[in-house]
Formats: sequence, C-alpha cells, structure tokens
Amino acid sequence: MLDILLPILIFSALALAAIGALRRVRLWRQGRPSPVPIAKSLAAMPRRYLVDLHHVVARDKYISNTHVATAGGFVAAAVLMILVHGLGLGASEGLGGVLGWLLLVASACMFVGSLFVAKRRRPPPPRLSKGPWMRLPKSLMAFSLGVFVITLPSVGVLPADLGSWVLALVLAGIVAWGLAEMVFGMTWGGPMKHAFAGALHLAFHRRPERFSTQEGGPGRSTGLKALDLDDERAPLGVGAPRDFTWNQLLGFDACVQCGRCEAACPAFAAGQPLNPKKLIQDMVVGMVGGSDAHYAGSPYPAPEGGYKPVGEHGGDPHGPIVAHPFANGGTALVDAETLWSCTTCRACVEECPMMIEHVDAIVDMRRFLTLERGNTPNKGGEVLDNLIATDNPGGFDPGSRFNWAADQNLPLMADRQEADVLLWLGDGAFDMRNQRTLRALVKVLRAAEVDFAVLGNEERDSGDVARRLGDEATFQSLARRNIATLSRYRFTHIVTCDPHSFHVLKNEYGALGGHYSVFHHSTYIAELFDSGRLNLKAWKGGSVTYHDPCYLGRYNGEYEAPRRVLQALGIEVKEMARSGYRSRCCGGGGGAPITDVPGKRRIPDMRMEDVNETGAELVAVGCPQCTAMLEGVVNASAEVRDIAELVAEALNEDSAQDRASRRAQQSEEALVS
Amino acid sequence: MKDDLRRDPRKEWIARNRLHPDHQRVLAELGQLERGAASAEWLGPNGLTRRDPHAVGFIGPNGLKRIDRSGAQQAATASDTRQRGAAVDTRQSINIETPAFVVAVVPDMSGGRLSSQDRDVLGLARQLADADPARPGAVLAVLFGEHKEDSLGEAGIDRLLHLEGDEFAGYAPEARLAALMAVEREWAPRHWLLPDSALGGADLGRRLAARIGERPATGVWQLNVNESAATGNAGSSQGWQCLARGAAGTRDILRPLPRVVLALAECAEPVYETRHAARRVELSEALPETLGRITDMGAVAVDPAGVALAEAEFILSAGNGVKDWEGYHRAAEVLQATKGASRVAVDDGFMPRDRQVGATGTWVTARVYVAVGISGAIQHLQGIQNCDKVVAINFDGGCDMVKRADLAVLGDSSQILDALVALVERYRQQQQESRDAA
Amino acid sequence: MPHDANSQTSARAQPHGGGQPSVAVLISMGRHPLTGRARRADQDARAVEMALSLSDARPRLLHAGHFDQDSEAALRGYLGMGFDALELIEQESGADVIAALSDRLRETAPQLVLTGARAENGEGSGLLPYLLADALGWPIVTSLASIERIERGEATLLQALPRGQRRRLRVRLPAIVTVDSSAPAARQSAFGPARRGVFERVAHASVQDAAFAKWDVQPARKRPKRLKIVKATSARDRFKAAAAKAEGGGGQILADVTPEQGAEAIFKLLQEEGVLR
Repeated sequence: MLDILLPILIFSALALAAIGALRRVRLWRQGRPSPVPIAKSLAAMPRRYLVDLHHVVARDKYISNTHVATAGGFVAAAVLMILVHGLGLGASEGLGGVLGWLLLVASACMFVGSLFVAKRRRPPPPRLSKGPWMRLPKSLMAFSLGVFVITLPSVGVLPADLGSWVLALVLAGIVAWGLAEMVFGMTWGGPMKHAFAGALHLAFHRRPERFSTQEGGPGRSTGLKALDLDDERAPLGVGAPRDFTWNQLLGFDACVQCGRCEAACPAFAAGQPLNPKKLIQDMVVGMVGGSDAHYAGSPYPAPEGGYKPVGEHGGDPHGPIVAHPFANGGTALVDAETLWSCTTCRACVEECPMMIEHVDAIVDMRRFLTLERGNTPNKGGEVLDNLIATDNPGGFDPGSRFNWAADQNLPLMADRQEADVLLWLGDGAFDMRNQRTLRALVKVLRAAEVDFAVLGNEERDSGDVARRLGDEATFQSLARRNIATLSRYRFTHIVTCDPHSFHVLKNEYGALGGHYSVFHHSTYIAELFDSGRLNLKAWKGGSVTYHDPCYLGRYNGEYEAPRRVLQALGIEVKEMARSGYRSRCCGGGGGAPITDVPGKRRIPDMRMEDVNETGAELVAVGCPQCTAMLEGVVNASAEVRDIAELVAEALNEDSAQDRASRRAQQSEEALVS
Repeated sequence: MKDDLRRDPRKEWIARNRLHPDHQRVLAELGQLERGAASAEWLGPNGLTRRDPHAVGFIGPNGLKRIDRSGAQQAATASDTRQRGAAVDTRQSINIETPAFVVAVVPDMSGGRLSSQDRDVLGLARQLADADPARPGAVLAVLFGEHKEDSLGEAGIDRLLHLEGDEFAGYAPEARLAALMAVEREWAPRHWLLPDSALGGADLGRRLAARIGERPATGVWQLNVNESAATGNAGSSQGWQCLARGAAGTRDILRPLPRVVLALAECAEPVYETRHAARRVELSEALPETLGRITDMGAVAVDPAGVALAEAEFILSAGNGVKDWEGYHRAAEVLQATKGASRVAVDDGFMPRDRQVGATGTWVTARVYVAVGISGAIQHLQGIQNCDKVVAINFDGGCDMVKRADLAVLGDSSQILDALVALVERYRQQQQESRDAA
Repeated sequence: MPHDANSQTSARAQPHGGGQPSVAVLISMGRHPLTGRARRADQDARAVEMALSLSDARPRLLHAGHFDQDSEAALRGYLGMGFDALELIEQESGADVIAALSDRLRETAPQLVLTGARAENGEGSGLLPYLLADALGWPIVTSLASIERIERGEATLLQALPRGQRRRLRVRLPAIVTVDSSAPAARQSAFGPARRGVFERVAHASVQDAAFAKWDVQPARKRPKRLKIVKATSARDRFKAAAAKAEGGGGQILADVTPEQGAEAIFKLLQEEGVLR
C-alpha cells in the first residue's frame, strides 16, 4: 500500500512546492529590477554555500556540525527518496539496493542531526525565534525517521508486507508531515523557506563581489550602492517594500531567524528600538502583506523598558514602510526610530550566516526619509544643512579648517603640487581632542621622513556622515568636489587617521570616479616600522587593550596592522572578549550620535565595560569617533589614546639625527668610491 | 568701633610734654583721629623726618589699601567726596533759542528710562544739530507715555515733546505713527533719528519712513562728513555720509545720509559735556483719532527655564556632580536662569536633550554661565567659549571647568546653591520692600 | 497656569471660523553668513514653517527677484519643505521688487502674508514688508513668535520680546506679519520635493533700484569696540582710566570657604553682570 501512497505523496508535495516556488518568485519580483547573469550566478552558488556561508556558520562549531549532518542528510535523503520511493528504483537487488542503503544512511545521519537541533532548543537561547521554529526539530525527526522506516523494507531488512495497513497509514502520515514541512513548507513560508530562498539568495546576491577571493580585486565589497541622482524618475531610496530590488527582497526571505545579528547588535544591547532580525522579518511581512503578529522572536526594545508590542505594525508591498509623521500617529511596517538606531557597524552583516545585507537596507530606507520626507531626526537636519553650507558637520567656517596647524608648518598641496603621501586630516581638524592625534601623527611622519603634504582649507568632509544619514545628494556633491580637488595634485597614497574617511575614499569614491590608494594611519605606521624607518622606545606604561573601529576592521578587514604597531611598541594587547571581527561598536558610527535615539543605556558605556573586563589601564584606538565616544564615558577606568599618540610618545628623539648622519656618511662613502 | 572715642592718658601726657622724644609722633597720631585726615609725617626726636606707612593711603573699593603718591586722593573719605560731587557741575549749559532746524529723535525709553542706545542716538543727533556752530539746530525728543528719566537735558535734548495718554501704552505703533506724522507736519524735522532696536525704533522708524515716503538708512553705525560734497554745501545734510550694516549684518553700505536714520548702539558718543534745556513743547493741534487695527492684549507669562539655550543670557547648567536635582531646579527658578545641562546629565535622563550645552549640543552665548558639578569635557568647554563670565561650582578643584572659570567656588554644590537661593530671595524681598516704600 | 507661549499645537487645535484662510509667504534668497553660499533665508524659512503649522491653511510661496543658478538653488530649498510649486515673478538683476510684489498681492488678495524681518542679500533694510503694508493699506505686525489662531477676520498672534518674553496681539486681516529668529526653526528641506517642485512664472515689469546701485557696498568691517567713556575732567583721572587694568585674567578660585561665602561671591558677580532681575 505504501508503494502506491508514497509516490503520490512525494510528487504531490513536489508539485505543491513548485507552485509555492512560483508564488514566492512573484513576491520577489515585486521589487525593482536588478539584472543578474542567471547561469553564472547559479553556477557560483555551490561554492558560495560550501565555502563562504560555511565559513560564517563554522564560527559556532556545534551548529555547524549539526547543520552539516541535518542539511547534508536531508538533501541526500530527499534526492534518494525521490529515486527510491518516488520512481520506484528501490528494488533490493543491483543499483536499487545500493540506493536504498544510501538512503538509510542519509536519513539516519539527518536524524542524528535533528536530535542536536532539538537539543539546542531545550531551552532555546533568547536570540532564537520560537513559534513555528519550535516544531522544526520534530518535523526533521519525523521526516528522517519516517523515511528511514519506510526504506527498511526496500532494502530487505524488513519484509515488504510489514504490519497492517494501520501501521502503513501511520508511517505514511509521518512521512507526509515530514514532506509537508520540508518540501511544501519550503516554498510556502515555513521555516524551511530559508533553504530555498537562501540558496537563490546566495546565487543572486546583490553584492557578488563580497564572495570574491581575488586579492586586490573587487575584494570584500562594503560600500553602499550609489543612487543615480541624474535620473529624475529613479526613486530616492526605499519608501515601500517594492522599492527594494528583487534580490534584496529575496535576501530578506532567506533569513533563518538564528538571531546572531541580534546578539551582535550594539543598539539592541543598549535597549534602542532596533533588532536586525525583527527588521528583516518586518521587511518580509511588508513583501507578503499583513501584520507582524506572527513574529516569534525578540521584538524591538522599547526605550522606556521592555519591548515594543508585536502585532501593532504591518504593511503591504506598496504601502509606506515608515508612517508619515503627520498621519495622526499611525504605524506602518517599522518606526523611524528603529532605522535611526543603527550605527552602521555591520556587526549583523558580519555575523549573518545567510549573508543578508541589513545595513544597506537600513541606509536605503533612511535615504527615503531624508531625501523625500526631509525627516532626519534630532540634529540630523542641522548637520546636513551645515554640510551643504560649510562642508563640515559642525557648521564651522571652512576657512578655519586649517587653523589648528598654525604652529605645525605643514606643507600644503597647493604649494607643493605633489608629494608621496597626501595626509587627509578629516573633520577632526575642528575638534580640539582630535587635534592632539593629528599633531602626533604629523610628528611620526616627520620622524620617518615621509614626504607628505596636506590639502589644508581645500579639504572637505568626506561625505561619510551625509551618506549614512541617507543624504546621498550631499554625499555625492561633497565627493565630487573632493575628487576634483584631489585630481589637481599628484600623490602616491592617501593616509588618514579617520577610518570613516578612509573607507569612503577607498571604497565609495570609486563609483563616482575617484580611485586612490588609501591607508589608515595604523597600516601606514606598521609599514614604516617594518621598513625600519621608525626607531621606537619600549612601552613603559600599564596594560593595554585595543578597540577595533568598525570602519577599519569589519568594513576593510584591517585587524592586524594596529596590533602589529602595538607589538612594535612592545605592548602585549589584552584582547577584549569582543574584538576583531566581533568588535563592539563605540556607538559613534552612522550618524548615531547625531540622530541620538534614546535607549536604556549608552553604547560607549557598554564598550568601556568590555575594556574594564580586561583590566587594561589604557585602550588604544584608531578613530576620532571612537576616541570621542569612549572618552565621553564617565568614570572610566581606562585612558583612551590614539595609536598615533602612542607611537609619537615612543619615538626616539635622536633617531632622526642618527639617520641624517648615517645618510651623510653614506653619501661621503659614495663620493669616495 | 572706629568712631568710639577712646582716651589714652599716656598719649595725652606725651602730647602735652614737648620734650618727650615721641611728642611729634603722638601729635601726628592724635591729630589724625581728630581731624579725620592723616598726617603721616613728623619730625623725629633726632631731627629726622619720620613717616608712618600705615597712616598713608586710603581703603579702596575692593577693601584693599591703595596708596596714591600724587596725594590727590589721600584724604578721600566718604564725606569728602559727597561734598565735592555736589560742589561743582562743570558742564556747560546750552540753550538754543531760535534753532535753524530741528532734528527729531524718538528714544525707546524702555523701562521708562533712556537706554544706552537712546543716549548714543541722541549723541548722533547732537552731531547733526551742532555741525554748523553759526546756525545750530535743536534736538527734539518725542517721548510716549510716562517716564522716570530726570536727565533728559544732560542727554542732549533741547526740545521735549511728551505725549501722554492711554492710546500710546503697550504696543501701539499706529497711534505713535499718527503722533509722529503730526510732528512731521508741525516742525518738518531735517532728520528723524531712531534707535534700530527690535520692537522699538526699528519698527516705528520703518513705519514712519514708509508713511512719509523716505528711504531710510538702517543699521547705521557711523556718520562722517563727505569731503567732496562738503566743500560745496557745508553743514547741510548733503555733506553727511553714513555707514550702515546691510544684508543681515554681512555688508557695510556707504551712502549719503537720508532724512530718516535708524542707528545701532554705539553709533556715536553720548553727550556728557554739555547740558541742554529740554524745554517742553506741545503740538499746536490735537491728534486725530486713529483707527486701531492692532490690539495689544498684554504680556504672556513665559517660563525663563524654557527659553531657548542659544538666546539665553543667564544659564544655570547642571552636570554629573549634581546630586540634589530638586535643589537645582529650585535654584534655577529662583535665579530666573535658563536651565542647561552637560551631556552626561542628559544621557542619564535628568535633563531633556534640548538642554544640552556643548559642541554636540547647543553652543551658548550667555553673559553669565554657571556650571554646577560639571567637570568640563573638552566638547562642553568648546560650547561655552562665547560666554562672558563663567562661574564653576564644583567639588574637584583640579577639573578643567575650574581652570576655565572666572570664578570658581569649591565645595558641596547643593549647599552652595541653597545659600545662593537664600541670598537671592533676601535680595528680592528687599527690592520688593523698597519698591513698595516708593 | 500661565499660557505656554512656546507651544505650537495651539494653532492646530483651534477650529477656524471662516473656512481656509489664504496665506502667502514671501521668500527671498538667503546667504550663509560664513560661506556666503545661497540658501534658504533663515527668517523667511521660519515664516514658511509658521505658515505650514497653521492647520488648514494651504500657504503659497511667492518670490520676486532675479533668477539664476544661485537663486534657483535657494528657492528649491523652500520647495523642499513640502511644496509642489512656488510663484516666481522674475525680475532683472538689481530691480526694486516692491511694485511687483504689491501688484501681485493685490491681485491674489491673501488674508495673511508672512515673511522674514529682513533679507540676507542686498540692502537688507527690512523695509519691504512696511512698504508693502503701506502700499496695500494693510496693518503690519513684526517679530512674531507664533500665530495662535485665525478666526472671523482676525488673527491672534504672539510677538517675541527680548529675553524670551511674549506679548499677545490681535490684528485685523488682511495683514502682513514678519517673523524673526525666535520663531520655531524651519523644518528640513528634502532633496526630492525640492528637485520636483516647479516655478509658476508671473510676468511683471522690472523697476531698477537706481539709488542702491550708486551706493558703495563692502563686506562688513569689524566694528571697533567702544572705549570706556571717561567723564573725568583732569588729565590725571583720564590717565588713570586709560591705564586701568583690563578685566579678566586668571579666574578666582575660592577653596575652603563656607557655602555662604561662596554664594556671596557668586551673588556679587551676578549682580555686577546685571542678570538678577
């Protein structure tokens, strides 16, 4: 009887899955077009899955092994089941026998995996979603166990006419449950949707460059996509779910609700109303239409404590994502403050095993709020007006940008026309604290006899803040004018002590025609030291830890150079629990201090606690924003110093003279010979 | 204490004994007591001149002893100065009987007195009136409503038109304009001068200019004689040029002086060397009834704590060191100060975000900035760099705010604030009493 | 409880008597004080904001002046506050716009005209609203902090006095009102609406401002700080005043004093500075 039932079950499940898949594809295609090479993308998918995705998943060994067993077992079992039970190739002799045995192995493997899946959820850690996800381990077991048992007769271990029709019906029921979850549910919105959408998402990812292994090629792409402002019909950012590109919508659908993003998000930890997982689920709700009542994970924190209730927000593909502020306090898919809580630190993107691009989506939605609604919160509007009128966020006279260096006698590009290194000072030039860092950096460069020059008053804000606040127009205006200024001079590299300028100059000016070789000062100092141009004294201070700036670390993958510099000073870095690619943001990125969404606590306070846990007396940083945010912590136990300051202090003052005399000697020798 | 007459029999005996070696010194000492004037020198027993350095000098206004070697102020005691002040007024008294022309000034009289800007504008009017000594003009001041000013003549006013009546009370630009039009008809002033001050002369002067069809010079801050034009037509208005601020204070416009002039503060030196008659004049005809389209419904109470930080002139700012928030808020209320806060106080939820002072909050330009329990992060100090006087109340004497402050009081902030509140309350009460008495 | 003068909601909450009041806002091209770049004029933008805060009024924007790249950028800034269009009376450079504006206002007959107190370009004398009021025969009220309500042909307004004080006025409509820097700040200008908005051109002949062209206009000089006026008559006293030590220098630090002594010192400083009222 099973012989008749099973093929019907299998093929009807497959047919329903195919219908579901078509419906799902139609949902995705509501998004804006974004051309992709289909065959090439599909061909690239297995590698992206097995290498890139597994690389992220493998950070958690338990779930990685579990996933290999369960997913591998399922894929093998599903294919073999179609062959053995669906097409009836399960004859116990010849090839069929081998297939049967293989199916047994695969389903057993899957069963073992599903046991571990179940164990992880007893009890589930807070970051995991509940609801349908709680039944998934049972469904996995039902499928694997059911398939295992129905395959036993096929390989002849049990007699074919085993038991009564009752048992057969029960078995068929179990298999049907498993099939429903695993095959039908995959395309009709069940938890297994992640496998279907995830596979296609990997293939048609919006940022295929991010999987590139090529050194010096496109590499890790982290820059935002530029808006085409010349096309008046092109939408300015994302106001409704259908304004996302179709592969962005596909990406949202791939979310497995593992909550790794939630665990990494600094805004969520600070009690600000943002949870990246919920945000992605809200986008799925918007794409499908409906309300967020079925969401079963942690909601957005409420500033007054607790969580925002679930079920009050909803939307549809054509409706607004954020309610209009004058629309009588109504709600839409998400509240604006959720979008403005993000520090754009990319901790979520780094952690996401499904390679979802949360930050880009948030900035896309911010673009709409800023460019179409003119609704950047708090000081956002003022900062953007300042950027437009004075080329710096503080509204200072652009003619006073270089005032801090009145005593430094810095060579100006306008006088020199060319230099080996163009030193990009950044907006920190207006900030009295950052001026100390700049002085230190100048001292280091002079000690190493670097041929450098600065733009002085010709420099402008790099456009980072404007872009993260969604003001693409101001970003592009600043960027184009900066590019025009830079094009007038000849230099080999740009060196800057601001990772935000570094990132924007290096990765985001390219789309507007500016291609430069840019170094963060820590990288450049490390190279100077390696080439023997710096003579450093040993560190005599106390213990030191290092805080990775997001825009240097996660955005640009530079974790080593700052540590190498500290090592060169003779410092043994006491690493924080959250360091390297898991470094916690200082709270200063993405315009977060400007939009200033209230939370239960401040992000820099949490980061300073991380520092305190190491017992370090000093935290080395490499970013003016991080310095400002961490120094703003009251009663901190550790001092905050920029790497450049540490190096400048450790310079051997006589080294420059030494080298000069050595060079004189060399030239004499040259004369003699 | 000092006034108690204490007798020293021994000194009196020495004073009678001309042969006593200390006779001269004691005489000097006693003489000082009796006459109230110091005689710090006497001839010593050996024929040397002796000086008592303690008897030299006087106690200055700050309680410090000052020594003036010129000797002029040596005996400057309180009674003495009073005599001198009353004795002579050296200012020249001027009375212009038949003026060649009239320069009309409409001072603001805010609070019933001439403001310093009013005095500057009157000084400017005198420049115009006195330009040709042979044919002096008269400065006519038009005053509305009651006033308490008693030095009108000293400020340079020759003629005074004092218009009283309910119709001029409060914001009554239409009635006042009608009165000025009557002056225009009666005296046809060569110039109209008004202070360019918000809601005062700035408003009235523009109304007047629009009504009489003269293009005024606004924001005038300097008056000078145009050399090239002056040669032909000395003394007349053609020779005058004015420098005026335009385009929201970003441009200086040099132009011939028109009939209607709205002048900024410090446009000219006020009058202080001459006294003028300030003779009262009246309009020959009664003012016509005006149709009032603007009704003043009175002042609206405003909480000083809610005034925008950037506008505030007196800020009481609280930081991390404030523990007694009730006391702080009460102090701000009693002092009628605008409330400010450091970033930390805002982050900790004690103060709203719009009260944050500093580079990341609001840049303030207060005349007095009192920082209570603020250690002075660099961003905060940047935000208050345009404040005139900074007062720090802090526990920690080593913090940056104390270094920045013009006056720093170290101690428990809540106790100091309480003491300050008590002082100010007493002061307010005294003021109230004196006002009631008057 | 005293009326909260800072509240903006009052205007919105009030029901209006006679339907939609028609409101026009006169806008001009602004100039950033530090960089001189074209922008929305600060006070005009506040006037637009005030007009937008009137609930059922549909304010119209009106500009008269020379139209070029700079002024277009500035005017689009106003459109970005949420307008589809603005009325533009194009004039020659250096034209006197009084006639153009008063003719247009007479034609369209709005109930209320809002504008900033003075322009950030040109003469900036702040005379324009007065001349318009005089030409149209309308009352004018200046230094507005907010509009409380408009009903039965009258507007109730709050006028800003120095030190954050307020005065309530009632004015018969139609009227011209000007807004100064104490009014609520203008909302952000958004790029999208600014780019889409259109200029509805109205023709009017230009009248050249001949007088202004003859004047000498320079960037503002820093004004000399007035020296202390010396009322003394003797040379010795004048010398003393001139040689008097300048104020300031190092700050005074009072340590180890009783709270009362500390408070006394602060009280004295507050009195000297005249901030105790």
